[in-house]
Amino acid sequence: MVDASLIVVYIGEILVGIGVLCDLIGAIGMLRFPNFYLRLHAATIGTIGGAFVPLIGAALMAIGSTYLGMYRWFVAGGAIVTAFLILILAPAGSHALARATHHAKVTPVQPKVVDHLEEDGR
Amino acid sequence: MIEEQITTYIMYIIPIYMIAFTLYIIRALKGPSISDTVLAIDAMTYDLAAFLVLLSIFFRSTILIPTAIVLALWIYALDIYVAKYLETKEMGE
Repeated sequence: MVDASLIVVYIGEILVGIGVLCDLIGAIGMLRFPNFYLRLHAATIGTIGGAFVPLIGAALMAIGSTYLGMYRWFVAGGAIVTAFLILILAPAGSHALARATHHAKVTPVQPKVVDHLEEDGR
Repeated sequence: MIEEQITTYIMYIIPIYMIAFTLYIIRALKGPSISDTVLAIDAMTYDLAAFLVLLSIFFRSTILIPTAIVLALWIYALDIYVAKYLETKEMGE
């Protein structure tokens, strides 16, 4: 009989590894992109790929780690609640920030082909 | 055996998170406008919430879990406050 908790722990470790790679890629992109509107792409990788995926993986790792006792269900539940909060709140916050930045003209829209939002605003 | 394996895996995960946090902090310090700073702190703090959950498994202490939930909610409040300030030039109440 294969131990079921070991399989859950392996799936969780794979998800945490994917999330850490996405986090590093998002951080490098946040440092290297030249403009605010291009850095929003790196922020998307850093939040959804770098926070949502390793939180689900950490919840699976906590379920499989039987040495924590009954408190592992508390850890797993908190991790899943945090993951779904981030999944809902991070795109909303980024969208509000981008819209406010475009509305207040904080930075120029640099690689621009057409900007319908600016044409509609005036 | 499973305890040693999880602890060793998280020990290899921690330095990669530290490198990512350092890169986010560099962008937050030299960001040309207020939006770049807020965006960098935003992405860094969502990753910090995931890092706290991993640390609570690593240290076997469950006191760090409510910290992650509250951190995710407060950084959304920071986004909304800065967006409101940029649009209407006032903080509200």
